[in-house]
Amino acid sequence: CPLSMFFRKVFLNSFSGVGKSCLLLQFTDKRFQPVHDLTIGVEFGARMITIDGKQIKLQIWDTAGQESFRSITRSYYRGAAGALLVYDITRRDTFNHLTTWLEDARQHSNSNMVIMLIGNKSDLESRREVKKEEGEAFAREHGLIFMETSAKTASNVEEAFINTAKEIYEKIQEGVFDINNEANGIKIGPQHAATNATHAGSQGGQQAGGGCC
Amino acid sequence: MSDKDDSETPVTTEVTPILGDGNCEPAKNSKSFDQSTEPGSKSGPVASTRKRPEARCSNDPKAAEVLPVQASQAAGKEPVSKEVPQTGWGYWGSWGKSLLSSASATVATVGQGISNVIEKAETSLGIPSPSEISTQVQYASEVRDAGRNNILCVSGPFGIFSTISTAVQSTGKSVISGGLDALEFIGKKTMDVIAEGDPGYKKTKGLMNRNSTLSQVLREAKKKEELWTSSEVTMETDKKTHYGLLFDEFQGLSHLEALEMLSRESEIKVKSILNSLSGQELETLKLELEQLKEAFSLAEFCEEEEEEKKGDEDFTKEITDLFSSLRISSRKVTGVKARNTAYEWIGTSLTKPLAEKEEGEKYLEVESTEQVNKNSIEDIHAFAIRSLAELTACSIELFHKTAALVLHGQKQEVTAVERSRTLSQVTVVLCKELSVLSKEFTTCLTTAGVKENADVLNPLITAVFLEASNSASYIQDAFQLLLPMLEISLIESKTESPQNLEGQRRFDL
Repeated sequence: CPLSMFFRKVFLNSFSGVGKSCLLLQFTDKRFQPVHDLTIGVEFGARMITIDGKQIKLQIWDTAGQESFRSITRSYYRGAAGALLVYDITRRDTFNHLTTWLEDARQHSNSNMVIMLIGNKSDLESRREVKKEEGEAFAREHGLIFMETSAKTASNVEEAFINTAKEIYEKIQEGVFDINNEANGIKIGPQHAATNATHAGSQGGQQAGGGCC
Repeated sequence: MSDKDDSETPVTTEVTPILGDGNCEPAKNSKSFDQSTEPGSKSGPVASTRKRPEARCSNDPKAAEVLPVQASQAAGKEPVSKEVPQTGWGYWGSWGKSLLSSASATVATVGQGISNVIEKAETSLGIPSPSEISTQVQYASEVRDAGRNNILCVSGPFGIFSTISTAVQSTGKSVISGGLDALEFIGKKTMDVIAEGDPGYKKTKGLMNRNSTLSQVLREAKKKEELWTSSEVTMETDKKTHYGLLFDEFQGLSHLEALEMLSRESEIKVKSILNSLSGQELETLKLELEQLKEAFSLAEFCEEEEEEKKGDEDFTKEITDLFSSLRISSRKVTGVKARNTAYEWIGTSLTKPLAEKEEGEKYLEVESTEQVNKNSIEDIHAFAIRSLAELTACSIELFHKTAALVLHGQKQEVTAVERSRTLSQVTVVLCKELSVLSKEFTTCLTTAGVKENADVLNPLITAVFLEASNSASYIQDAFQLLLPMLEISLIESKTESPQNLEGQRRFDL
């Protein structure tokens, strides 16, 4: 029986203004909106993807990048299956502070969480401050997957999220994730009828319980 | 209550086996319970109405053991069918009855010896007015016998009522030993239940099963709907009436979960702060926290002061005012928009041809083009459920954002207690709005369905009221989740010196 999966949380984190919300919007709505309101706490987005013939619902938590929201965003980490750590290739400072965000993510979530490093705004080549090689090196050093994206041109956006999901999926196959533990942010359930395009296929794996009798 | 449908409704008959052997059916038919509020329920669209899943009849087998005589009697009895007038779909008309009958039916479970409890309960129904109640008392006594038939799962069908009746039920158990005091308590409880006839807008908090979090409850409900949807529903239109799915679609679940996370964490923090204090300091703080808690219970009693009918601007203005007194801009308070869209729709659906309707309702995809002047009752029902889900999701989002901003440590121009009072007002306004909105929708339904069979129309109306009631309790529960954040805010305002707040900017919601 094929399975449907629900990666409950995939995080976007890092500095304010690196384009997390833009990436999310591009991924979920396939559109680019240059100006976003400052994220308060966390915003959400969700999309169904297919990996290995299985329907998977990705729920993405787009956390506030503002330093002052740091302690709040920490509260949200629990139960995340993956995270996208984003920096802005045109702002060196966002790259230099990656370690603090990485530590945050590792500290407040489960150790198996898949983390992908994203260098965003790859369309602004002329203003580039961080070389692609630097990003690659950082990713290698910390065991992350790496990719440069552009939320504006949609370049690699799809791939970034889907590759993160694939990595999570592989970890599940390897048995690294305990899929019965909801703290891992993964739920698996029987595949639903194809008629239920987006919603029904998503969360079927939730623990039953309660209910009448 | 489902008793009265047993003879008529295929879905609810699934409930009856429970009576015999105390075996409860799995959750698969749980949603079908909801419709049983009205006689002649059909398994149609109302099946989508979700009950709050914490209501369960897990203790039923026990009850069956305790009352074997009654159960066997019950098995032999014919279900009593009742006529409920179609008109008068006010809260008293519908909710009052459901409450009353479920209350009395539950009382019946206590034991045969205390059937006078019912009389007690009935005679103490002094509120709100004898004339209003009289019809319901009559109804209740009609229901009573039938109620006995169905005691075992009677708590199943109703969202919040099930919790209410469970409360009565557990009270009932002590009746046997407790004597008159307990009888009086039951009477009082029934009065309370009646007083709450306006569905869910008071005191429903606290009735929730605190063992599970609200988002768990809702997730579970959604899951059930999904399971049901996937197995039985093929038509796209049917999904439009699934409150839980819609609520999730509007990100209500996510915001609720996030809010719960913040709440839980803040609660832990408050506890650890309290643990670190002692003596006078602790006492002072405790006292202040107590005041804060009081502000959080405000929502319960200021509800009746105002008339429910309000203009468009009132709601928008009220919410905006409240948020500006919170020092939070409501510029993007999505609930206002959601609510206004709903009203526009109600307006247009009653008067204008379909073609002219505005974008807000385009997802209804009304196929029947020959239907010029009104939407079908199914459309109205679908839109009503959607609007309720959206407004509720927006409300939860509002609370979540408020929580984040409170924790963020905005410059405290207002005290935590003031904020709590305001938020409590917000809760009242939102719940009231849900009430008004659901009434509008049911009026709409009644108008549109004037030629429809009551068997078709009534369940739809019931479903709208039920979801409005559930929505209100979700909002109230979410409001309660804000308490720890405001406690933190209060503690911080005492300890923090003002100078490190200068750089804070204000955020708009």
